Amino acid sequence: MAGPHPENGNGGAIAPPDPWDPLVRFSHWGIAAAVIANGLLTKPGGTLHVWIGWVAIGILAARLVWGLVGPAEARFSAFPPDPRAAISHVLSLFRPGGPREHPSHNPAAAMMVYALWLCLVVVIGTGLVMTDAKSPLQISQERAAVAAGDWSVLVNDDGESEGGGEDHDESGELVKEVHEVAANLMLILALVHVAGVAVESRALRRNLVHPMLLGSGKGR
Amino acid sequence: MTETTRGNGRTPAAALAAFVLVQGIAAAFFISDAAHDLSHGFGNMESLSELFISLVLVAGIFLASWQLRRMISEIKDKDRALAVARGNFARVIATQFTDWGLTPAERDVGLFALKGLDVAEIAALRGAATGTVRAQLARIYAKAGVSNRAQFAAFFVEELLADGAPDT
Ligand code: HEM
Ligand code: HEM
Repeated sequence: MAGPHPENGNGGAIAPPDPWDPLVRFSHWGIAAAVIANGLLTKPGGTLHVWIGWVAIGILAARLVWGLVGPAEARFSAFPPDPRAAISHVLSLFRPGGPREHPSHNPAAAMMVYALWLCLVVVIGTGLVMTDAKSPLQISQERAAVAAGDWSVLVNDDGESEGGGEDHDESGELVKEVHEVAANLMLILALVHVAGVAVESRALRRNLVHPMLLGSGKGR
Repeated sequence: MTETTRGNGRTPAAALAAFVLVQGIAAAFFISDAAHDLSHGFGNMESLSELFISLVLVAGIFLASWQLRRMISEIKDKDRALAVARGNFARVIATQFTDWGLTPAERDVGLFALKGLDVAEIAALRGAATGTVRAQLARIYAKAGVSNRAQFAAFFVEELLADGAPDT
């Protein structure tokens, strides 16, 4: 894919949208806020943690629908996962010409986006398993009942009390472990992601965060 | 410069986007409740109506997304008309290439083709085989829904005349 790029240097004729469409922007900051809140701030497994987790489920679902029906640059087809292109993009950062422009996320950013979404799906999935997929409303109702002295809500439908058999305990431990590891991995990836945005912004001499916020107002 | 394109339907689009996200969140809560009820027994009226409402919610998300996409493409059309009116033709071409979903390599080749270079010249510039360039051109034409280079170039000329010319 090497060769001259006629569009580099004539004002960046190809470039990601500026601003990104509102659904991409709002879902990005919604998910980022939820991940940071749950990873660093809320009490693990607390009612608030589960509430925020469920909000993240809804936002992610809407963004994934958008990846199918949204405008061209927001669709998955605009940033297919392509590890080889991602590596050559990263290498191009160190070459004199610098990276080339892309109409959507660049290939390296695309890999990061999929990695973050995948971590989020794993975290959500394990979170749902740990809470028996009960909605935060049900959970707070049950907790209120227990606090009032009614322990019967803790008995499962099949007559087995919470954390019953040995098996259950062990697999429960594993699920919790996976939840924690995936959550921490996601936070580390998010740091790398922000560093990547900074590096790419410098290489392209253009602030990439503005289009994700409100649009830079330039280029029009 | 910005005042002319700000506004222009951006606020309703942002509101609709926020609405789609809220719909997604509401659907997550409702569908989980419905799924719980269903797992306790299927077939009674309540669970059936919950199933129905869940389907409606999901359909609503798709419909609202589709509507949002149309709003966004209208905003883009207006921006494009404005770019044409200002003579910012490079931007018009770039946007159109994006709409067609051209890959970066295809965009390069497409731009060279619009500039009037022939296959051999493009191949030399890109350090690629002529067969590769020919295949890329064929893919570009397919994505653009045209059958040859003359039609490809005509697409943009037409654009210029349709949007850029003063209304009569
Ligand atoms: C939005 C992304 C989320 C992040 C970043 C996140 C992060 C975390 C972290 C770091 C812990 C501590 C793990 C430990 O030390 O054991 C934790 C625990 C927990 N999370 Fe999440 N979580 C998220 C979403 C969810 C969701 C969606 C649910 C449930 C529906 C959930 C349910 C739980 C539960 C029940 C625990 C307690 C595990 C225990 O200690 O027993 N989380 N979460
Ligand atoms: C935990 C925190 C974060 C997560 C999980 C996250 C996740 C993501 C995801 C999934 C995308 C793709 C957006 C889409 O197509 O819908 C994205 C893009 C982006 N994010 Fe983040 N993000 C986080 C924090 C941040 C922060 C703090 C910044 C600002 C410094 C930032 C700046 C950006 C930018 C500029 C893009 C667009 C990249 C491009 O131009 O290709 N993100 N992020």
